[in-house]
Amino acid sequence: MTDERQSTLRNRLLALLIAGIGGLAATAISFGMAVYAAANPEPVPVVAPGKAIDTGRWIITPERAYSGNTPPTGIPSPDPRTYVMLEFDLENRSAVSSYASTNLISLDPPIPGLKNPVVHLARDSWIASPVHPGMPEKMVIAWEWPAGLSVPRALRVLVGGQFYKRRDNLYGASSWFNGDTVAVVELPVTAEQRPQ
Amino acid sequence: MNGAVRSLTAVIVAAGVLYAMQRSTPLYSDITSPVPVAGRQGERVDTSAFAIGIAKVYLARSITFPSLSRTQHYATSGVWVVVESAVEAKNESLGLTSAEWLGPDGLRYRYSQRLTNVPGMPGNEQFEPGIPRPMLMIFEVPESQIAGARLLVARSPYAPLAEEAWIDMAALSTDDIHPSITLSRGGQQMPWILKVE
Repeated sequence: MTDERQSTLRNRLLALLIAGIGGLAATAISFGMAVYAAANPEPVPVVAPGKAIDTGRWIITPERAYSGNTPPTGIPSPDPRTYVMLEFDLENRSAVSSYASTNLISLDPPIPGLKNPVVHLARDSWIASPVHPGMPEKMVIAWEWPAGLSVPRALRVLVGGQFYKRRDNLYGASSWFNGDTVAVVELPVTAEQRPQ
Repeated sequence: MNGAVRSLTAVIVAAGVLYAMQRSTPLYSDITSPVPVAGRQGERVDTSAFAIGIAKVYLARSITFPSLSRTQHYATSGVWVVVESAVEAKNESLGLTSAEWLGPDGLRYRYSQRLTNVPGMPGNEQFEPGIPRPMLMIFEVPESQIAGARLLVARSPYAPLAEEAWIDMAALSTDDIHPSITLSRGGQQMPWILKVE
């Protein structure tokens, strides 16, 4: 009777010990992997202009960068301003019409005092509306360059990805989320007006 | 031995049940999605908040609309779908701000934001109970999404569990595509004038 009870107790202790060691090992391995991944980030590929980049939700092809005093709308502002513009093709791979994501294109390194850029639809020479699935469009993103800062000879832009989650962590809803930088593109900036 | 087998079975059954529950839980987006009210083009479709009837549909390669300063030509890589409809509010004054073209492949095309200044477009019109008013919806879709499409109209794109009209559109063929459509401002009764070229 006492022997039997002792053996059950021993079994239970053994089970607890195994479960504890297993849990600790899992925690240690996952922590180690996270630390390793953070210490050794995947190198972001440098993509040449004119090459298509798959960002998950979008396929973007940066074409060329240029600067000028007229924004892509073609309506110059009364006081002289300088704009740096980047022309790109954009295709929506998701199932619904959507505005270009805010993390799609960003400058590297960030310029202090730079206003948020405005994305334009080249077809209309106007501020872009949502891009429809399966209908690639030529777009122009324009940065109003801070006065007193010289226009760069070259642009280095980061292309941000977006990924789809069928169930997000908060609500369990399906949606798209901004992800990591998927590519770096370096383009020379030519000084010219937009094509008429 | 018997006990071990039994507990192992219990663990496996529990894992199976949990997996089945995880897989079969409806998505939050599904639970809170609008409630479809089916209808057909040419019929009156009644939702709890509004009624809508689709009259005519035109297809065009380009749209011309004179804006304040200049006459603007709107080109597209696909086809413009211009839908003329009539809407009546049921209980209170309202505007309709969500119109989508659901293509046969399940792709959703929002009404074009490039032409939002055209009178009669969703968001520009207010509908009163008992007074039917015309409404214009313009979509930009690829040719492959014209036939077998549905038109989805709701009061707002973010209204969980509100009723949404799902209107089966009459078959359209690519032969019906006009080279150009000119829209201009209309009068009190008809906010726009549509001219096919």
